[in-house]
Amino acid sequence: MSKVNINTYKVALVGNPNVGKSVIFGLLTGKYVTVSNYPGTTVEISRGVCKGLDGGVEVVDTPGANSLIPLSEDECVARDMLLEKYKKHVVQVVDAKNLRRGLLITTQLAEMGLPVVLTLNMWDELLDRGMNIDVNILQEILNLPVVKTIATHRVGISTLFDSIPVAKVPNLCVDYGGLIEEGISKIEKILNGNTISKRALAIMLLSSDDALEEKLRHQLADGSLADIQRIRDSIQSHFSNPLSYVINIKRANFVDALVGRVITTCKNEKKTHPFMRGLFFYFLVPLVSFFVGHKLAALLMYLVSFGLPSGNSLTLFVPLAIGGISSCVFSRYLYVREYKTRSTIAEVLGRITMHPVAAFPLLIIILWIVYKLVGEFGAGTCVNFFEEKVFGRSLIPSGGFDFSIYIPFIQKTYVITHVNFQGLNYYFGLLAQKVISRDNIIFELFLNEQSGLVQVGLTYAIAIVFPIVGFFFLAFGIMEDSGYLPRLAVMVDKVFKRIGLNGKAVLPMVLGLGCDTMATLTTRILNTKKERIIATLLLALAIPCSAQLGVISSVLGRVSGIYFAIYVFIICTQLLFVGYLSSKVLPGSPSDFLMEIPPFRMPKVSNIFIKTFYRVHWFLKEAVPLFMLGTLALFVTTKLGVLSFVERMGAPVIGNFLGLPVETTHGFILGFLRRDYGAVSIFKTLEEKGGSAGIDPKQLLVSLVVITLFIPCLANFFVMIKEQGVKNAFFMFAFILPYSILIGGILKIILQQF
Amino acid sequence: MAEPNQEEILELIWTIEEESKKVEKDLLIKKISLPSAKEKLNTLVDENYVIEVDNRVELTKKGRAEARLVIRRHRLAERLLSDVLDVKEDIMDSSACEFEHILNEEVTTSICTLLGHPTSCPHGKVIPPGACCENANKEIRPVVMPLSDLKSGDEAKIAYIVTKYHGRLDRLSSMGLLPGVQIHLHQRQPTYVIQMGETQIALDTAIARDIYVRLI
Repeated sequence: MSKVNINTYKVALVGNPNVGKSVIFGLLTGKYVTVSNYPGTTVEISRGVCKGLDGGVEVVDTPGANSLIPLSEDECVARDMLLEKYKKHVVQVVDAKNLRRGLLITTQLAEMGLPVVLTLNMWDELLDRGMNIDVNILQEILNLPVVKTIATHRVGISTLFDSIPVAKVPNLCVDYGGLIEEGISKIEKILNGNTISKRALAIMLLSSDDALEEKLRHQLADGSLADIQRIRDSIQSHFSNPLSYVINIKRANFVDALVGRVITTCKNEKKTHPFMRGLFFYFLVPLVSFFVGHKLAALLMYLVSFGLPSGNSLTLFVPLAIGGISSCVFSRYLYVREYKTRSTIAEVLGRITMHPVAAFPLLIIILWIVYKLVGEFGAGTCVNFFEEKVFGRSLIPSGGFDFSIYIPFIQKTYVITHVNFQGLNYYFGLLAQKVISRDNIIFELFLNEQSGLVQVGLTYAIAIVFPIVGFFFLAFGIMEDSGYLPRLAVMVDKVFKRIGLNGKAVLPMVLGLGCDTMATLTTRILNTKKERIIATLLLALAIPCSAQLGVISSVLGRVSGIYFAIYVFIICTQLLFVGYLSSKVLPGSPSDFLMEIPPFRMPKVSNIFIKTFYRVHWFLKEAVPLFMLGTLALFVTTKLGVLSFVERMGAPVIGNFLGLPVETTHGFILGFLRRDYGAVSIFKTLEEKGGSAGIDPKQLLVSLVVITLFIPCLANFFVMIKEQGVKNAFFMFAFILPYSILIGGILKIILQQF
Repeated sequence: MAEPNQEEILELIWTIEEESKKVEKDLLIKKISLPSAKEKLNTLVDENYVIEVDNRVELTKKGRAEARLVIRRHRLAERLLSDVLDVKEDIMDSSACEFEHILNEEVTTSICTLLGHPTSCPHGKVIPPGACCENANKEIRPVVMPLSDLKSGDEAKIAYIVTKYHGRLDRLSSMGLLPGVQIHLHQRQPTYVIQMGETQIALDTAIARDIYVRLI
């Protein structure tokens, strides 16, 4: 921050949700904030420095807000920042095709008396839709600089740079009519001491802005708030609708008149090329729907036909037939419905992904692809390679690996060369043994097989977690940037209503499948306190993070597909059951599901990679220290004998109630540090116990269900305390710990019957 | 135009006809709870609203048309009072009796449209259809209805928003969903998705029920 010129001003980015504020923030400051195509991604204020402006000014990014009279926590954050007293220039980012909604905010900025630059972003999408905005007239009416930009392609950013220093207060004044105007001037008098944006404050107070009243309580003279209350009530008595609504209508009417003067439509809407349409409707759709039908049928067959021999002709024929049927039915349906309409392919796709019927098979396919990518490739192939070959073990050489090419059609692998690399840890071990013996405590601290900082902590973080999380964030990025996630919210809304949440909560939930810690932070986008508590609880209880899910699916998949299905079923049931219960128990009413759905877009590959890179970076920064800390704690407790003490304490519960070997207690304690860590440890223990007879799948299932439901990892717990307060966090902790063991016990008893 | 108490008599004749087809003059006079019932009836005869046949009273063409309108106003008023204003039954009856004399043609049509051209009153009797009902018959659906009653693909304009929750009203209005705005309903399942200008918005059933729209 040393380069900030404190004598000048700060730049504040403001705008509706999902208009590209964060992208512009990145371009102004060269700093990356998570950019996503889901409203409410920025839940905190990000700060950065723009070096190119007046010798460096601070730039502040705010959460998207539809109104500066806040209705949710993130809108409140945005508003409070604007009311802070330092001098600032506002860059208001507007989605050009939604100018009307943007200008609703501009009027509020004008009332605050802040200098504004209006940025009409996504200019290309405006033109694609056959519309145009007369920037000159707009500039003239508002009397402020208006800039056209396409932020994702860096178009118009230099003009924006030039405009920021000459930002002007918008020349807008909405007349709210005699009664309300009278009230505004009365309140302005009461606010006398408070010099900035009195008109805006008065309007907010008339709109019953509770958060603001709380803030002003200490600044105003005693009794002023009561006076304001009296003024508001007397005006309200003249209107049947709430004042905030009356004010919003006045504002909207004003803006509508303005928009009518500057927006023109020209008739060259963007259409998809006829060849592409043909390709889409005659080739791609039939092919994909065949694939969908085939895969779904195969999946069902796999789940129900565990008794059938694999070469059975039925398992071959049925999926093919179902694929054919689905291809015919679906292609025809889509052709009849959409071919004649002038929609682009992106629009058609946008509609299918929300279609009441078609969206569900599509969802399953997307989940399947994500599983293939994250679960099999990331958690299987990559993890094996990194863990066993690249890192290896400190005392045993890994034996090296073959650098080879697999040719799919003839199913042969050509070995190009054998790499004689014995694993990083092995070389560390060799190096260390030059100085100290392998029984030395220092050697054990770093390279011990059970709890060495490098052998276990670092290796786990990089070799196991890194590939899984990396691939998950890649998949998540694609879902986000294409606009699929908000559509998922539309689909799950009804189910989520049952568990006291609404469709909006799909973002934290899906993100939780990547990292629960990150997801707990995003619960801020939810509207009510009740929803936030439920979402936080469910994340901590029933949503396994990608690292854990990767380990679990590969472990259970190795035993049998049906056990993995049972596992998924139990976890889903618990999610719904606990959600349902807490929605009944917790006070508060459910909140409305009202959400904007961005257009379906082709994601930009470079953006996805940048995004994945930053997310993984964030994750490693957060996770690696915790891994190290956890491993250190484990090392110390083992050496001091605390661990065996806890193991003995836990033995009756683990051994008798859950029917697991006592040694797995170790894994459960590890689970508090990293949940996946615990899963692996338990698997290893069970493998050792099982010996040549192999693992008892029932024991494995019970232990994995318990470790999934078990208390959240340390990092998640810290974030829970931060977001929900110590009391709530401990309350959740106290519920989850016995509950997960209880479910495990019940499961054990049920499994014993078979 | 008939006098208010003349209208009452015409109304009475209509209702008796509706039940039993024949109106005995003596019975009618007894039912008209006015001191000068006989004279009033005679005036109606003089003014060619009713005729007397064999000690029975019948409506003339002119009288029938007049009675029809009175009945229509009365029963529409009942509907309005009970369905929209949620007034108790005894108050509804007495108020409807007053309403029927003061409503003019235009207001009656508006009420009928607002209520979606109802065919029967709260007591289950037929409301005589007006010209507006016949026009609406071609398009059977009411003109103003909750968004939740739209079919997917419909275009509509928001007429008004009625909700118990301030927060909901604020959230809708700050998104720009306000009376006068044109919307297009994309789909009803799994949740409602509407298009407003270039914005697509998903909303749940509870909200859709609170937004009243006018089809276009």
